[in-house]
Amino acid sequence: MTGANASATKTMDGSTLAVLTARFEGIARKMANTLHRTGRSGILTIARDFSCVVLTAKHELLATAESLPNHVLRGPDIMSRTMTDNHPVLKRGDAFLHNSPYHGCTHPADHSILIPIIDEEGVHRFTVLAKAHQADCGNSLPTTYMGAAVDVYNEGALIFPAVKVQDNYQHVMDIIRMCQMRIRVPDQWWGDYLATLGAARVGEREILALGKEIGWDRLEDYSRQWFDYSEKRMIEVIRALPKGRVTRTSTHDAFPGTPAEGVTIKATVEVKPDEAMIEVDMTDNPDSMPNGLNLSEACSLSAPMIGIFNSIDHTVPKNEGSFRRIKIHLRDGCVVGRPRHPTSCSVATTNIADRVANPVQAAIAELADGLGQAETGALIPPSCGVVSGVHDGKPFVNEVYLGCTGGAGTPWTDGWLTILHVGNAGMCYQDSIEIDELRHPIFVHQRRLIPDSEGAGRFRGALGAYSEFAPVDCAMTVAYVSDGNVNPALGTRGGLAGARSAQFRRLADGSLQPVPACAEVVIGPDETMVSISGGGGGYGHPHERDPARVLHDVREGWISRERAESVYGVALTEDGEIDGKMTAQRRGAVGQV
Amino acid sequence: MGLRFAVDTGGTFTDLMVATEEGVLSMHKASTTPSDPVAGVIDSLRIAAEAAGEDLNAYLGRGEILVHGTTHAINAIVTGSTAKTAFLTTKGHPDTLVFREGGRIEPFNFTVPYTEPYVPRALTYEVPERITVSGAVKTSLDEDAVVSILEEVRAAGVEAIGVSFLWSVVNPAHELAVGALIEKHLPGVPYTLSHQINPSIREYRRASSTCIDASLKPIMGAYMRGLEQRLREAGFHGRVLVVTSQGGVMDAARVAEAPVHLINSGPSMAPVAAKAYGADDAAETLIVGDTGGTTFDVSLVRRGRIPRSRETWLGQPFRSHMTGMPSVDVKSIGAGGGSIAWVDRGGLLHVGPKSAGAVPGPVCYGRGGTKPTLTDASVALGFIDAEFFLGGKMALNKSGALDAIRSDVAEPLGKTVEEAAEVIVALATEHMVQAIMDITVNQGIDPTQATFVAGGGAAGLNCVAIARRLGCKRVLVTEAGAALSASGALISDLTAHQQAMFHTRSDAFDIEGVNGVLAGLKEACDAFAAGPGAGAKGVEIDWSTEARYTDQAWEIEVPLRVPSFAGGDDVGALVSDFHQMHQDIFAVSDDKAGIETVSWNAEVRCRIGSGVPGRLAADGRPAKLASRPVRFLGTDWIDADVWRLEAIPQGETLAGPAIVESDFTSIVIDPGAKAWRDASGNLVIEV
Repeated sequence: MTGANASATKTMDGSTLAVLTARFEGIARKMANTLHRTGRSGILTIARDFSCVVLTAKHELLATAESLPNHVLRGPDIMSRTMTDNHPVLKRGDAFLHNSPYHGCTHPADHSILIPIIDEEGVHRFTVLAKAHQADCGNSLPTTYMGAAVDVYNEGALIFPAVKVQDNYQHVMDIIRMCQMRIRVPDQWWGDYLATLGAARVGEREILALGKEIGWDRLEDYSRQWFDYSEKRMIEVIRALPKGRVTRTSTHDAFPGTPAEGVTIKATVEVKPDEAMIEVDMTDNPDSMPNGLNLSEACSLSAPMIGIFNSIDHTVPKNEGSFRRIKIHLRDGCVVGRPRHPTSCSVATTNIADRVANPVQAAIAELADGLGQAETGALIPPSCGVVSGVHDGKPFVNEVYLGCTGGAGTPWTDGWLTILHVGNAGMCYQDSIEIDELRHPIFVHQRRLIPDSEGAGRFRGALGAYSEFAPVDCAMTVAYVSDGNVNPALGTRGGLAGARSAQFRRLADGSLQPVPACAEVVIGPDETMVSISGGGGGYGHPHERDPARVLHDVREGWISRERAESVYGVALTEDGEIDGKMTAQRRGAVGQV
Repeated sequence: MGLRFAVDTGGTFTDLMVATEEGVLSMHKASTTPSDPVAGVIDSLRIAAEAAGEDLNAYLGRGEILVHGTTHAINAIVTGSTAKTAFLTTKGHPDTLVFREGGRIEPFNFTVPYTEPYVPRALTYEVPERITVSGAVKTSLDEDAVVSILEEVRAAGVEAIGVSFLWSVVNPAHELAVGALIEKHLPGVPYTLSHQINPSIREYRRASSTCIDASLKPIMGAYMRGLEQRLREAGFHGRVLVVTSQGGVMDAARVAEAPVHLINSGPSMAPVAAKAYGADDAAETLIVGDTGGTTFDVSLVRRGRIPRSRETWLGQPFRSHMTGMPSVDVKSIGAGGGSIAWVDRGGLLHVGPKSAGAVPGPVCYGRGGTKPTLTDASVALGFIDAEFFLGGKMALNKSGALDAIRSDVAEPLGKTVEEAAEVIVALATEHMVQAIMDITVNQGIDPTQATFVAGGGAAGLNCVAIARRLGCKRVLVTEAGAALSASGALISDLTAHQQAMFHTRSDAFDIEGVNGVLAGLKEACDAFAAGPGAGAKGVEIDWSTEARYTDQAWEIEVPLRVPSFAGGDDVGALVSDFHQMHQDIFAVSDDKAGIETVSWNAEVRCRIGSGVPGRLAADGRPAKLASRPVRFLGTDWIDADVWRLEAIPQGETLAGPAIVESDFTSIVIDPGAKAWRDASGNLVIEV
């Protein structure tokens, strides 16, 4: 009837591939829509911190819809393999709970449901995976980002290495009860669990119907050819890149358990157009640390790939096929590598991971103008922290999104304002202040952008954000892990660094008291939490910025006149227009890049 | 009762549908003058008067109502010709319009810049004031500061003002006070207060509605005044109404005072028409697809209700601004007759979202288009008769279409031209199916239980293929299906939407408080019915609440059975309706959990037209045309029967393979499908 089954041969043409791709992407999107609309916690339903993907039975990533990059590029493949290794006999009605960073999951807060798609003959054909960041995962402190956890025991989360949670479509209540005894606000967790499971079941239903309609063998032909097509696109893109090898570093601030000078991450990117390969070597990095910043294997693999895919033609499909042209070198027991149990990976998705993706994309930028990106601002400031407390006898806990920006300058555009961090790509939502004030006992005094905080450049980084919020009639714990207090997001190709992050407690008398960068801070009823997030780095020298853009930034109040002149070399007349002569003079004098 | 007119101004053509006193419909077309859209309106009326053999003045003198569909508001935004607008916001929160609500599409595509705020930051002013979630005043309004802000606003040459403060929906005192100060210090400058235009929670959406509304007031006020005046001069003395985003109509003068209601009005009438023409269909749900030249719009009718959404955007989601206004829930994708087909360097076929549009248009139009489109593929397959396009009014260049398909699609894919044309149609069909799936999953609808209503000029090309892919049992093509929106406009009701915020929970339901809110809404509805709705043939109020499980973030709209709660039983009924609605939409419900309601709605509908869909004039021409070779999806060339839609007698069943043609569209009846006309003139296709 349609092009999909018009031909009986095994080789599919570009039209059949296109139709089946639309169908698989549609399935992943349907899973995501279901999860978004039915979740309970704010982090799922407001911030949209979740992902849904389809894998082949051979654990190859096939369809991702619009998932969070750091959730899905690599990791789902390892999780799927863990499921089949641990459960050699899979049957319809099974579902598995997985959050183990030692078995492919990003970090323990990302509870994932895997469901094997079993055909009528009992053959495992595909696997669907729905991954959702939890408001709480049973850590020893009320936060899903335990920066100071010395190991997984200190961290405290329950770890599920692909544990069966449904059998014959029925919940394994033992597992559910264990979670309810350990996870804070268990009703909220239960609602989120049902939503995640429901999303995976929707995916299962759809793929079963597709297999029946198209035929299972034909679907396997499809995935093989879709991977070949994607690889072909990737080969073509890499062949057009300049050959080269660049090493860049990026330093995470000192936190509990790190060396006093912080953690310097070294990434060596090698582009080999003749072999159509990009390799990233992450082995020359420190050993795992006694804190929660270590990367899981999934994050160690995904973060460099984010840097790569951010740097090249965005229309290349991201799946097993294009991944064949990327090689990431890791070593065991490394902060960016394969962690050994009981190393804690509580904060694996953000802080150090960003210090991996950022230097990779900035290194690619150094290869040639028009490639790569600058560095994106760092996480996790208090404005994106986990707030908790007890109000009127009722406990509350959730992550808020009250303003975090930091997009990096790119060869084409200024930094995307609400990027959040490089691994998230701006896919998450920012909270409505009214919704937050309705749902939690908090009051938001201010949320605004900070002038002159951008990393200047031909295309500038996003401005940093200021926010100030307080508990209402109770005390509130704010847990956060704010990198970038010392080491800002760097520019590339002559672009400058963004402003640094910072955090304070405002005391009842109005004075500001600095608080640590990695902490759980208790804010009293008449105090406020002040959060400053960093700006993104700039791409290209600021003197290359179109003067009209500089003027626009001045008029909008994003940068001062003084900065326009001293940093961008754009002089303005008294009535606020561009002074062409003075600008040419200034840029001529110091504009040599 | 007199003549009723529905005039829809499009980018290229202005379409007019006229209903006579007896309910007989006729359709007319005039060219649009983009710089003066009212000229096209008058021209289309002149063409209709000529067709009726009457003088324009006398013809219009018989007119009772004229319903106008216009994209003038959204065009003003796109072209940047709205008023210079200031945004007054709560101190501490100047960047609400800059942050928006976050979110992004295409995570690895950094070539699309972040959008500029709807009102420049330079024209955003922080007002010292703050109200809390409970409505208490935390910081009282500093009126002196407001006065000096208004001085700055004047000095900046501002032409309109939007005022949106945090929690004004709970306590509007500060916004009202600022409104009074604007009237005193800047008399004549139009302004909009957020709690009045969009009394709903979430500050970005409310501020966005407010600023969009204010920015449109000068231009839309002038447009509506000009429209009314020129219609009067031409001889029309009836009522001038305008189509809104909610799928209703409002008086032109009233809509000029709240022009944000016009933003998404373009696709809102298709489900109204589908609801009326499909009223006798057995399915609970109608999926409405409106296929034009460049876009495919999907909407729904579910048990007689048209679902709404507040997540409507001025442009692409997350790359533009959300209007925040309740609008008919429509999903639009770039797929239509003009969608361009091409093969990328990896050998993958693409159809759309790039479109040849009206200019240059498909290759076969012979207007300079060189890229093959869905329409060209339809000509190649014989779906469209190159000799009889638009009733023979336009000759098509078939060989040009074949050449373009050959070079751009057939050769790169290693296929024949016919095979290439077939896969173009198949892929376009799949994209449309995916758009339908997106909206049905969000509303929890099982498409296999629905009937597909196909409207728009290009709808007939693949409506059977879409329905088969979805698993629908029936397709409905209305008699005037090519002008589905216009036929909806003729029968739509005069509507007004009243809304109030009131938060309460099912475990401690504040019956008195809720009843107070509902009584206030009732009063507003009654006032509307007695004012603009005076003389209506019927008045109905639809009651609903936006509610959610206590821990959830997003509300769903649940109809109320009663306009006032008598006691616990009524509350229990609401809770159980909520569970049912949640189950319907999301396939899960949590029957033990409590719910909370956030806002309360009353939509008052005043029936001003007949409400009964009209029929086209009987067609005396023969029903059967000469057969011709057609290549259906999955078949070889077949000599297919060809029928004239308007002339098919009721009771005659035709079997696919066949083509049904009208002066406006061509409908493909694939092999195995059967079709007949029902009493309303619809073509019903059993797929």
